[in-house]
Parts: sequence; C-alpha cells; structure tokens
Amino acid sequence: MKKLLSVLGAATLLSSSMTMAADYPSKNVEFIVPWSAGGGADNVVRALQPSLEKALGTTIVVRNISGGGGAVGFSRAIASKPDGYTVTIPTNATFTLEGLGNVAFTKDDFDYIARVLVEPYVMAVRPNDDWSDLESLIAERKASGEPLRMGASGVGSSTHIMTLMLGEELGIEMQVIPFDSGSAAVSAAMGGHIDGVVLNPSEVVSAINGDRLVSIVSTGEERSGALPDTPTMTEAGYDFELAQWRGIAAPKGLDPEIEAKWVEAVKQAVEDPQFQKAAQSMGSDISPLYGDELDQFVERTSKPLIEEAQAIRQ
Amino acid sequence: MGDYLEALGLVFQWHVLLVIGAGTLLGLIMGALPGLTAAMAIALLLPLTFGMPPVMGMGMLLGTLCGAIAGGSVSATLLNIPGTPSSVATTLDAFPMARRGEAGRALGICIVASFIGGIFSAVVLSLLAPPIADFALRFGPAEYFALSVFGLVIIASVSSKSLIKGLVAGLIGLLIATVGTDPVAGVQRYTFNNLSLLTGVNLLPALIGLFAVSQVLKDVVDYFSGGPVEHSKNKMDHARPRWMETLRHWKVLASSSVIGTIVGAIPGAGGSIGSFLSYDQAKKMSKTPEKFGTGHPEGIVASESSNNALVGGALIPMLTLGIPGEAATAVLMGGLMIQGISPGPTLFTDNGSIIYGIFIAFFVANIFMLLIQWFGIQLFVKVLQVPRKLLMALILMFCVIGVYAVDADIFNVYLMLGFGVLGYFLNRYDFGTAPVILGLILGPIAESNIRRALLLSGGDWSVLVTRPISLTFLLVSAAFLFFTLWQNRRQTTPHS
Repeated sequence: MKKLLSVLGAATLLSSSMTMAADYPSKNVEFIVPWSAGGGADNVVRALQPSLEKALGTTIVVRNISGGGGAVGFSRAIASKPDGYTVTIPTNATFTLEGLGNVAFTKDDFDYIARVLVEPYVMAVRPNDDWSDLESLIAERKASGEPLRMGASGVGSSTHIMTLMLGEELGIEMQVIPFDSGSAAVSAAMGGHIDGVVLNPSEVVSAINGDRLVSIVSTGEERSGALPDTPTMTEAGYDFELAQWRGIAAPKGLDPEIEAKWVEAVKQAVEDPQFQKAAQSMGSDISPLYGDELDQFVERTSKPLIEEAQAIRQ
Repeated sequence: MGDYLEALGLVFQWHVLLVIGAGTLLGLIMGALPGLTAAMAIALLLPLTFGMPPVMGMGMLLGTLCGAIAGGSVSATLLNIPGTPSSVATTLDAFPMARRGEAGRALGICIVASFIGGIFSAVVLSLLAPPIADFALRFGPAEYFALSVFGLVIIASVSSKSLIKGLVAGLIGLLIATVGTDPVAGVQRYTFNNLSLLTGVNLLPALIGLFAVSQVLKDVVDYFSGGPVEHSKNKMDHARPRWMETLRHWKVLASSSVIGTIVGAIPGAGGSIGSFLSYDQAKKMSKTPEKFGTGHPEGIVASESSNNALVGGALIPMLTLGIPGEAATAVLMGGLMIQGISPGPTLFTDNGSIIYGIFIAFFVANIFMLLIQWFGIQLFVKVLQVPRKLLMALILMFCVIGVYAVDADIFNVYLMLGFGVLGYFLNRYDFGTAPVILGLILGPIAESNIRRALLLSGGDWSVLVTRPISLTFLLVSAAFLFFTLWQNRRQTTPHS
C-alpha cells in the first residue's frame, strides 16, 4: 500500500513525468487480449511475448479478458491509466465495435504504438465446376441471380462486414451466415454446407493447402505470404484494399518517451527469428508501422469499416 | 513406418518423458481445482513450450489436457464439484458412491475407466483420424440442430426423481441461454447494457455456481440449522484402481468410449455432452436403470470412459483439418502454430514424424495419467478427512479465484454466486442442477444452428428431415423420449 501511495504521489507531482519515463519500465506490463486464449490475437501476443520482454527488460503478463467480441477487454484497457503499464492489441474489431455502437469507446481513445502484423481477408470457396477464379464466379452468380452464401466468424465481426463490402464491390449478392467462430465457418464450407468464407489466411490456409477450399481473391495491399498465388483485389482490377491488422496500443495520453521505448522494443522484437517463424505459420505478414504513418493507416482503415458497421446496425 | 520409428525416438527420451509427466501432474492439480479449466491450464503452460522441440512441447500440453480432464473427475467424485464441464455426468453416480463411504471404490473405477477411454481414443486417433474427420464435416447446421435436440432428450434421463421437475430445470437452462447477442441478427437480448453479458452467460461461473457454491451453501445451512452435517465417513474403504470391477462393464466401456470419441471429433458439438450421451446410453442398455443416480458403477464407467475419450476425439479435427472443436484444443493448436507447424491435411505429408510423435505422446500422457492417479489416489481421498468446515471455506475461495481468473471480470463472480443460490434451491426441491447445465450448453447450439439451417434453406423446415444424419438423430430422439417415458412408468407403477 505504501508503495502504491508513493507511486501515486510521484505520478501527480511530476506531471511532466520526466523521471517516470526515464525509469520506465519499473514493473510488470499487463497486456490485455480482449479474446480468449487460443484465438488469433492471443497467438500473436504469446508469440511476441518472449522477445518483447527481452527488448523491454520487464515481464509481460498476458491477460485474456474476453467477452462481447472484444468489447469487454478494450473497455477495460481504455479505463486503465495511460502509464505504459497497460497495453492491448488493436485490430479491425476495435473499429467495427465502435460502428456497431455496443461500446462506449471510439478509435480515438487509443494511442497506437505499433502495427506489427497484417493479414488480408481472403475469399475462399469450395471447389466447384462452375467457378475456379474470381471472373468465372462473378459471371456464374450474375447469370444465376443466386446469392453467394458466405460464412463469417460472428455477427458484426470484421469478416461479416468485409463480406458485405466485397459483395458491393464485386456486384454480387452476398448472403452472410454468421458462425460462432472462423473455424466453424471453415468446417461448414469444407463440408459443402455453405459456398465459402471470407476470413483471414490463418483460418483458411490449411483448408486451401489441403485442396478442400479454393482461394479466389484477397484484400491486402500485397499478396499474402501464406497464399502467394491468390491475386489481390487491386490486381483483379478493383480499387479496393483493406486488411486485418494486429498491433499494440495504449489508452490515450501515453507519454511520448514511453511510446518511443515501446517502438524501439517492437522494432527489436519483430526481428526475432522465432517470432518470424511463428508469424509465417500463422499466415500473417510482419509489416511494422509506427508514428504518423500508423495514425494515417488507422484513419484510412477505420473509416469504411465504421461506416459499414453503422449501416448493419440500421 | 520410418516416420513412426523416428517419432518413437522423439518421444522416448528421458527429458521428453519427464516433461510429459510434469504436464500431466500439473493438469491433474489444476483440473481438480474448481474454476480452473483445461484450456486455462494449457494457456498457462504454453509459453514454456516455445523453447522446446515441437513433440516435447505438445507432449507436455497433451499431458496437461489429459490430466485436467482426469483431475476434474476427482473433485466431482469426492466433493460433487465437477472441475470441468465434461465431468458433470460423473457427479451423478460417483458422488453418491463416495458419500456412502466408498470414495476409494468410486475413484478406483474413475481411474480405470478414464485410462481405457483415453487409450481407446488414442488408438482411434492414430488409425482412423482422416475418415472420422470427413464424417465430422458432414455435420452442417441442420445436423448440429438435430444432435442438440438429441442431447436435450437426455434431460429426461438425468432427472432422477421427477421427470417434470427435470424438464423445468432444463427449461431454466434454455431460458438463461437466450441471454446475450442474438447469434444471427446481432440484436442484444436481456443484456441490460452490461458488456459482460454481450456474449451471453459464461458457462464456467454457471457450472461452478450450480455445483460448487450450491454444495457449500447446503453445508452451511445444515451446519447452522443444527442438522446432521454430513461428515465424511470415517470408514474409509481401500483406495486403489478397480480393474476387474470396471472391466466387468465392458459393454458400457466400449459404447461410451466410441460415443466419446465421435462426439469429441464433431467440432463445436459441445464436447461435454459426450459424457451425458454415454451416461444416457448406459442407462438405457442397463438391466438395472433404476440404480443410476444412486452410486451405480455403470454410471461412473460410462461418464469417465467417455470424457477421456473426448480428448482424443477432439484432436482429430484439430490435427487433420486444422479445426479446433473447443477452447482447450484451440489453445493447443495455437501452441503448434507458434512452433511453426500449421495443423491440417499437409501435416501428415510434411511433418510425418511430428504428427506420429504427437500420437505417441498422447498415449504416453494417458499412461502417466494412470500412474499418477494410481499413486495419488491414497492422497486424494485424504481430502475427505479435512474438516468439512475448512474444506468448504477453501472450496469457496478457489471458486472465486478461478471464476474471476477466466476473464478477470468481477461480474462473473456475482454470476457464480447467483447460480449458487439457484442451485441450492433447485437441489433442495429435487429439480437437480445437471439439466440446467445441459440446457445452457445445448440451447445456443440448437438455436444458432436451426437459424443457420433456415437461412440456408430459405425458411424451408424440410431440411431437418430430408438430410439423413439430421433425420436419424430426430427419429432416435423421439424413440428415446418414448422409451424414457415408458421406463419411468414401469419404474414408478409398482411403487404407487
């Protein structure tokens, strides 16, 4: 208690927080993962944890605070002090939650430290005589007038929203069937119960490599390292680019010096060969981004997602 | 063959074996503590595996998983507190037997049945994984709905005292399961703007509340009302594995192991219903169905062999298709991916020695589970010699810690206490708590899948009867329902 009081006292006295930033980190860092253990975000944090700990020189405690599709964990992160001892993992879900209107936070309540990984959304369908690529798929659906029945990883998830956006962009009707998880949607697609899925590579790559699903198009800036043969939307002639990403963010108001320490640490951590191997097998591409570039990326990515999510709500 | 020999070499090194044993032991301890699930135990040990070779790391995590499931049955038997959802069915007979002063016998049967169920699923996993995975893929929304209806019919079978009261308890479970975000339309239902309820009522606080907290409440009330506090019987029977007694029920062992493995292999079927299905099956086949629920060895054999067979079953879609069926296998799969190995069809061709190493490690983990319990059983039963007053206080403490740890959310603790009060009254008036859990687990599966099935069929209900698997489950459900009603009548008529 005494220690806590003295820390609190120091915090209020030294509002410039020069010494605090210089001492940073002097205790454990709590990394809030707003989903349960074993999910995509959780895997990323746990893979990053050892090298990040080494670079920061402190212990990182991973806390899975799941619930509400990320709403509970993000809300908890926002409510903590921006002292650099609580961070979380922002993704597109941070934006879609805002758009759906179930949460009290907005994307501006975070200070974004780094983007670590990107992975596109991949449209994968079950093998079919009528279509083998994007062109034949669109042609067949337009001719038949039937909607494409696509599985998403949950109602209001970013994959749900992305499926609708892709439908608008490609000019075909998408019927979104929300499942409880990405893997449940993949198994329904493999079993032929739905036409396909729009998910991230980590969730579909083994189905594609096993020839149970065919990847049609991906939404990233560049082709995904896990699926080098799948064209991007841009390559297919559409002006559309929007990828899933995973990074590190603190609640708004983080001391720039502490942020700088984090950026340095992340730069070191992503060079770790063990992490690079893990990222590769998870189907993600390491694509770090910091500072102003990162803020621009957040603006650019969040806008369409928030708008589309707001449209679902109506 | 070459792969298998190489895999044997990967597993049979003293440090690998040691690590698998350590994982099993830790799993046992964590599984026995109420509130700590298998998934949490694995997530906790996950970082330790990063520096290990894949087979060694996976071996440790598989040991943890087997241990946690087995440990869950120890607390189910001795304290009526299932450590994991899949050991709920174990409480139905193992606890009454332990209360009679035969705790050693109950645990002895548990140990042998768990081992046989686990080994059976390991054999199936190593020999038949690909075809079973293909069968599992034939489960679409309509099939899942029919399967969950089949599961709900079991409520009639586990309501020991009164069918109507059992159904009421089941409906309470179904009703609570409607809380949360609508799985298809995304509308919030009964969430009262509480973020913690957005994804519905968390199963773990409900489970711990209904079983552990309600038991604590009962003991407290008994204590203060001066009634007979149920002291642990001092007459302690000999605690050792009961091989012959368990093997005598070979029919139950076989059918329950098969049911457990297959239900485990169907991703998202709510694995824990496997042990209920087996229990129900054993009761229907039994010559003495009326003894079920009173401490009958067949009931223990059914539930225990099945819930350990679930583990091997759950590994099938994870390893062959890259599809984890539930939380614990999802964490395991995360562990594999962090090692740089993506599960799925290519695993067999690219990393043959690793996948066979995982199979062998799973066998080894089951053997360790047997050995540790064999030696530990004497120690486990000592728990009953702890004065009940102290024991209950300790249990309540572990419940609060465990449930809080799930999401670091204090709301879950309140939820647990609420369910504790509910469970106390349900038990006091003979409604039972097992049907509530069944309703809670199966409600969301039934609801979301019927709605998906109807979305896909354009609102045409005939999909439920035109698909063979779905039709079979529905017909068998109807048959079972009538059979249970008839069995109930036959049992009650002579007495009344």
